Amino acid sequence: MKFEVSHRTTYRYSEPVVHSQHLVHLAPCSVANQRVTRHGLEIHPSPNRRVDWRDTFKNPVTFLEIERSHKELVLHARSTIETSAGIPTLPARTTPWDALDAALATGGTIDLDVVAYRCASHATTASLDIADYTRQSFPTGRPVLEACTDFMRRIYADFTFDAKATDVSTPISVVFAKRRGVCQDFAHLTLAGLRAMRVPARYVSGYILTHPPPGQPRMQGADASHAWVSVWSPEYGWQGLDPTNGIAAGEEHIVIAQGREYNDVCPISGVLLGGGEHSVDVSVDVAPLP
Amino acid sequence: MNKMTPTDLESMEDSEPVFQRMGLPGYDEAFDDNGRVRSHWAGVMSRFAQMSRGELQLRSDRLARRTREAGIDYDIFSDPSRPSQAWLLDLMPILIAAAQWRWLQTALTQRARLFDAILHDVYGPQKTLKKGIIPPELVFSDPTYLTPCRDILPKAGPLRFYAADLARDDNGLWRVIDSHTETLAGLGFAVANRVIHSHVVGDVMRGCNATRLAAFSQNLQNALSRHAGSENARIAVLTPGPQHQDYFSHAYIARYLGYLLVEGGDLRTRGEQLCLKTLEGLQDIDLVVRCLDGRNMDPLELYTTRLAGPAGLLRVNRDRPNLVVNAIGTGIVQNRGLGMHLGRLAEELLGEELMLPDAPRNWLGDSNDQRYVLENLDRFVIRNAQEGTGRPGQAMLGQEVRSMTSEQRDLLVRSIALDGSRLVAEEELGFSHAPVWQNDKATSRPFAIRFFVAHTGERYEVMPGGLAMSVDRGRAVALSTVDGHTRDVWILGEQDQQPHFSLWRPRLENARVERSQRVIQSRVADDLYWIGRYQERADWTMRVLRSAYRRISEDSGPSTEDLGAVHRCLSGMLADERGPVKRPSGTNIDVVEGMCSRLLSGSTSWRTLSVVCENLYRCANLARDRLSFEAWHTLSLFRPGDEFMNELSRATSQGAILDMLDVGLRWLSAFGGLTHENMTRNYGWHFLNLGRRVERAYNLSEVLANLFADVTDGEDEMSALRLVLELADSFITYRSRYRIDPSLPLVLDLLLLDQSNPRSLAFQLTEAMRDMSAFPSDKPSADLSEARGLLASALDEVRQADVVAMATPVGRKRLAELVRGQLVSLPQFSDALARHYFNPVEDMPHRVHTRSEAAP
Repeated sequence: MKFEVSHRTTYRYSEPVVHSQHLVHLAPCSVANQRVTRHGLEIHPSPNRRVDWRDTFKNPVTFLEIERSHKELVLHARSTIETSAGIPTLPARTTPWDALDAALATGGTIDLDVVAYRCASHATTASLDIADYTRQSFPTGRPVLEACTDFMRRIYADFTFDAKATDVSTPISVVFAKRRGVCQDFAHLTLAGLRAMRVPARYVSGYILTHPPPGQPRMQGADASHAWVSVWSPEYGWQGLDPTNGIAAGEEHIVIAQGREYNDVCPISGVLLGGGEHSVDVSVDVAPLP
Repeated sequence: MNKMTPTDLESMEDSEPVFQRMGLPGYDEAFDDNGRVRSHWAGVMSRFAQMSRGELQLRSDRLARRTREAGIDYDIFSDPSRPSQAWLLDLMPILIAAAQWRWLQTALTQRARLFDAILHDVYGPQKTLKKGIIPPELVFSDPTYLTPCRDILPKAGPLRFYAADLARDDNGLWRVIDSHTETLAGLGFAVANRVIHSHVVGDVMRGCNATRLAAFSQNLQNALSRHAGSENARIAVLTPGPQHQDYFSHAYIARYLGYLLVEGGDLRTRGEQLCLKTLEGLQDIDLVVRCLDGRNMDPLELYTTRLAGPAGLLRVNRDRPNLVVNAIGTGIVQNRGLGMHLGRLAEELLGEELMLPDAPRNWLGDSNDQRYVLENLDRFVIRNAQEGTGRPGQAMLGQEVRSMTSEQRDLLVRSIALDGSRLVAEEELGFSHAPVWQNDKATSRPFAIRFFVAHTGERYEVMPGGLAMSVDRGRAVALSTVDGHTRDVWILGEQDQQPHFSLWRPRLENARVERSQRVIQSRVADDLYWIGRYQERADWTMRVLRSAYRRISEDSGPSTEDLGAVHRCLSGMLADERGPVKRPSGTNIDVVEGMCSRLLSGSTSWRTLSVVCENLYRCANLARDRLSFEAWHTLSLFRPGDEFMNELSRATSQGAILDMLDVGLRWLSAFGGLTHENMTRNYGWHFLNLGRRVERAYNLSEVLANLFADVTDGEDEMSALRLVLELADSFITYRSRYRIDPSLPLVLDLLLLDQSNPRSLAFQLTEAMRDMSAFPSDKPSADLSEARGLLASALDEVRQADVVAMATPVGRKRLAELVRGQLVSLPQFSDALARHYFNPVEDMPHRVHTRSEAAP
């Protein structure tokens, strides 16, 4: 499928910002089953400095420094992306989750790009309760992708989407206790559970195509950035699982960046001097192209 | 341990040696199994043996006093309900013989080289991880491993600072119990201990030929200058701030090496530079010696919830890898789980056999180790693999399994299964013991030593000394001290020592560096300004109290008229709202005494003396690296919890209070004299002076408003005049000039207009103008113009005052307007000054981010 994505973020400040620095992860990357044909980032006011590079997770990242006083900042990313459905998976044929050690070290060399994602990070450290909850999907010898899919579906079934229940700093212990949150919370919780089982899993930041109710037109700008997880099996490599929607990630999922957790790939973060109170307005539009 | 203590030494014959074998468990450092003094201890023992017990105690007390004066102590601003623990420095050092030292040097520098090699691999090609020589999950589970540093650390040069905690097991073999690679790990404490110790037992030290620290420190200094790129490099020690437990150490080492002491808020990145916010604007920093955990160094790219370091630092660091030492990310190799792999790593990376291994430990992320530990759980203590920087002596004691309830054990077993990669298990280990002189007695206590290694350009060097701490043999598995008892470590030299030279006296070649570094951070200027204000406020309040107490405690019995002026003065100061002071009715001693005790310590108002003194101490502590030691000592009288401050809140007898006020005033004037005589007239001094002038002008205006705004009867006015002359310390001037009883026009002339009187209002304002004109003014602002305008018009008003007319009953209104006008414009001036120079807005960076919240 082919998409045009528009992602416009507007910050408004009650006091002038005298100096600001931002890290931006808004450029989709070319990964398996995904090709980026065009990408542009407009910034207003225009930054005094802009540096683009690849971070240690191989995601494109942009640094911005703005030294002129401003009360409004707009970042508008526009991308054209083509995706394709991956090969169909047979989860029941994957290696048992408790036998991954051997598969991760072939020919005496450990695959560090995978092992790194077995370890809990700051935001994905599981409590004993979360580990116990997860373990129900992981009986001895169960194929890893089957166990992960089951676990992802349980989260989909047991948790309620509620944007008011949490904010960006809510720890997963609270999400777990409330059984509520947003896609980012569910992704972190899923990662915590999987890593407690030592299954390699990473955080994916991106977009998803939304479908308007039958008979209604698509609403402009009503989409949002999305997050899900990607798990590893020796048979299929990385495979996306979306606990917010209870499905495996497919050609309607568009990847921007991947890391250990949200903080590695946060779409826009910044540190300001001045600014007072701020409000932020995000408008995302994922439009399928013919 | 207690039952092993010897019989009371006091009752023994004088011929009995003071120090002797105690027969404690563990290796005895000083005595062999037959009770004979080991040869390298003989020199020290014989010198101490020549001293009487009284002499030993005298020196021990002197050490305690010096330690206290230097301010090595726990943070006083933390929870006041927690008992504060004093830092104790023992009279007896730990001795290391020359041959032993040669071995330790080789072994410790080998470890430094090994850690350096591991870091360059872990942040570089990661061969050791790929081969599994280091379990990858040990690294990836450790929050001190910082992936964004992979493109920086390998270019940042060698690991600069390494500290190792060593203990000797029961066979006399040294074992490393912890490694510190994140920050300086308390190097300042070790140097401070040495400086103090050499003041008190320098004669013994020289007699035993103990190696001095200066050569090591100088090599370090030179190496850091070279690393920063030039002899004139501007080098800063970055501290988390005075609330941090190790702040003393950071401040001490910064001063010792002649570097700036800065906090994260003082720094800003801009373009390709790291800058210091100074009064003259942003100035480049060439090298940061960090005392801040790596992950807190950059809130933009690293640990994002704390704003400790300057945002954007990693980006600047990427282009200038030399900018920070230790490089950001070095904390990973202090992970305790690494210990068991060091032998293999030494072979692999250095091609050498590891000389000095870690104490035995099991990393619980390894399934075999985990199984073994779970099967033998009672033998182990469970601890975090990564503990962070850790103040010397404050290592966590760990979870001792054998003293757990069964519920706690179950929980622990589950935690090990879940979080094993962040935990280690260790067995108890032996500690050797050595003689100490504590509580008037010789005894022997177990200890561990922190040694410090630094890369000095060509190679690693070990500082010839260390920080020894007494530990509890029964519990400790690391450097965990129960009572803050420390010892100096003397390395006995084989050759004669070089003549003594100290870093406190800069040599010619680094004198230039010194001068170029005399910049003032905006934050420090702010602190110095408030030291000036609090100093003067404390001085004034003490004078008011002294005058009041003298009047109510006079033998002859005071007349009510005499107390009228004091009453008005006090109630004006205690009134929260400023305004005309009502004529007191029914003045009596009790009312005035009640007011005095409120002003002394009985309330929490900003005027209360104990509050003022506490604030003075707090500001002095914040800016102490800018004060001379003597100046700092004089102000440390006001340390909360110390004798003076305790007495202040307890004293009830007027005599005792008057004595205390005299003491306080003497110390304040000593501080005033020291800053006047000894401080360079740089921006810092002018801010200090400006604070004083503003405060004194304010207090003087206030007392004139309180005493003379309204007309009173002759007798009362006379006592008011005497009071104000006394408070303004101008009685003698007045008497010598006029030789008549005080009269209002003459007193007003002396206190308002007389520019030659350092207590007059005109003098304060003129001096303040002078201070203002000394400040940098290349960045004009509305606030700066406002501040200058306010000061100039305040001075104009005073100069134009007609004191003869103001003294008349009809002219009093004019007098009241004049002084009350000052009470309004001085605080406005102070605010405008702060807005221009101290930048309150910029001190508060904050984060913004969006989150992903697509609905299903």
